[in-house]
Amino acid sequence: MKITKAHINKLEDYLWEIPKSFKPQMRVPARVLASEPLLDAIMEDRSLAQLVNVASLPGIVGASLVMPDVHEGYGFPIGGVAATSYPEGAISPGGIGYDINCGVRLMVSDQKIHTIRDNLEELAKELYAQIPSGMGKGGQIRLSSKDMDTVLSKGAQWAVANGYGAEEDLAFMESKGRLPNADPSMVSDMAKKRGSNQLGTIGSGNHFVEVDYVEEIYDDDIAEAFGLYEGQVVVLIHTGSRGLGHQVATDYIRKMMSAMANYNIEVPDRELCCVPFNSSEGQDYFKAMCAAANFAWCNREVISWEVRTAWQNIFGPDIPLKLMYDVAHNIAKIETHKVNGQEAEVIVHRKGATRAFGPGFEELPLIYKDHGQPVIIPGSMGTCSYVLAGTAKSRELTFGSCCHGAGRRLSRTAAKKQVNAPVLKERLKDEGIFIEAGSFKGIAEEAPIAYKDVNMVVDTVRESGIAKRVAKLRPVAVVKG
Amino acid sequence: MWIEYLPHTADIRMKIRGKTLETLFRNGIIGMGHILKEGFCEKRMSSDLSLKIHVESSDTTCLLVDFLSEVLSASYTEKSIFCKVDFLTLDSSEILAEIHGMRVEVFEEEIKAVTYHEADVHKCEGLWESVVVFDI
Repeated sequence: MKITKAHINKLEDYLWEIPKSFKPQMRVPARVLASEPLLDAIMEDRSLAQLVNVASLPGIVGASLVMPDVHEGYGFPIGGVAATSYPEGAISPGGIGYDINCGVRLMVSDQKIHTIRDNLEELAKELYAQIPSGMGKGGQIRLSSKDMDTVLSKGAQWAVANGYGAEEDLAFMESKGRLPNADPSMVSDMAKKRGSNQLGTIGSGNHFVEVDYVEEIYDDDIAEAFGLYEGQVVVLIHTGSRGLGHQVATDYIRKMMSAMANYNIEVPDRELCCVPFNSSEGQDYFKAMCAAANFAWCNREVISWEVRTAWQNIFGPDIPLKLMYDVAHNIAKIETHKVNGQEAEVIVHRKGATRAFGPGFEELPLIYKDHGQPVIIPGSMGTCSYVLAGTAKSRELTFGSCCHGAGRRLSRTAAKKQVNAPVLKERLKDEGIFIEAGSFKGIAEEAPIAYKDVNMVVDTVRESGIAKRVAKLRPVAVVKG
Repeated sequence: MWIEYLPHTADIRMKIRGKTLETLFRNGIIGMGHILKEGFCEKRMSSDLSLKIHVESSDTTCLLVDFLSEVLSASYTEKSIFCKVDFLTLDSSEILAEIHGMRVEVFEEEIKAVTYHEADVHKCEGLWESVVVFDI
């Protein structure tokens, strides 16, 4: 049945609900966090049909949820959150995605934009030279089998121990850059082979390394705690677990497809395949997913080392780049949330959604603890990005989750038809944004026109109260695959 | 049209058809090769790498997706695009095949995975067909 506005109830400003009665298979309602114009845009693709399907997952609690940057995916929508009861509720690899622990980090310099304007083109070229990007380009590191297992167990700690990272970075990563449940023996040889030369690479698609400056501060206290100030030069990195994570997801989705029958589970879309978390298949996947997540944190740390190398080559050895924070937006975590008024452990699947815990969260570095977890929202290469801070209300509304980006609006094909990439590159250069990319095709597919208005997305999460705006970032140099 | 690319907001939705299951699966790898490098499989008649693959799945739809996933993984580990396939066995749940490809310097597109979403191998007006959605 096609979903229309008539099927959707407005619960409060920015929160909409498709009731459980909409479809017999739904175990919980489906909720959309969006302004009305964004909801109208969301209804143009199949996001809501997919959200309704997610509401049928075994053990799902509360509601299936999508953030305002949602778009159609495969099985789960991108920008979705689903919490299932721990330990017997479902774990679904499709609820995490193929790019396990795809995420974003923000590094901050102590330079102001006006001091480096003349170096931007040279800096973009140097970043492009230092950071392998695009498909088929391996990184500088070749992992032995033993080192691969250490990366999968230790995450970003491996990079630090081997001279590719900074010890002080670790405290500023979600889960401190390492999930303890990882078991490298649950990762296939094929996955390890695919990842063996991919540490320090960003890949292609919407992944990037971007130099920005802080254009506007919205909350002085939080910005000060996060170390942000107007005019400051910062670096955004967006990538994940590369081919290793893609293969882990492929391997386990295939396994779960046949294992589901053992648990009498039927799902409306094969990509929602799942098993009980506490089943042997569920545990094997969770341990492999944690290992792939660790690979991703290590990857982003090695890329940071490459960024620092490029920085030193342009600006000299004494210009530090500190890690502000690193967040995952494709992951499953066991967390405690209120379910039906009671505190309960749940398995939170976030696929294209960012954890956004409020003040007091014990994992946060001491200097952030009173302000909430940093949430980093990349926009598109020609618009802007945001730094937000999580709030207590995110726990009430969205299992402590927030949006993860602007969200795609146009298909890649449509973007390529509408965008003349060489012209766009020159136009952006005229605006002071230098792009280095492997192909014009990649520039066209990721053009600003292909994305929703990130300002509308961020306004929605701010006005709904699940995150506070802290700073707006404006791009000046972009490296893409 | 034996291979068509349909609209999808973020990923690639491909529709393939074939007079036989063999041609459907063959069009699957040609269509996937086209995404990895546009036009690559149209030009390449020869190959410099052959691999044997064996896939078993619960049904024909899963077999198509699992087969394409195996070929995709081989593409990445061998840095090759496979445009040709000889089937030694192909039934509703098992494939034994030799795939033939050419090495490439770089791929133009990164396919993260072949998904089961919307895949459904069935006959329509005498032709086998299915949609395959690739995560990009």
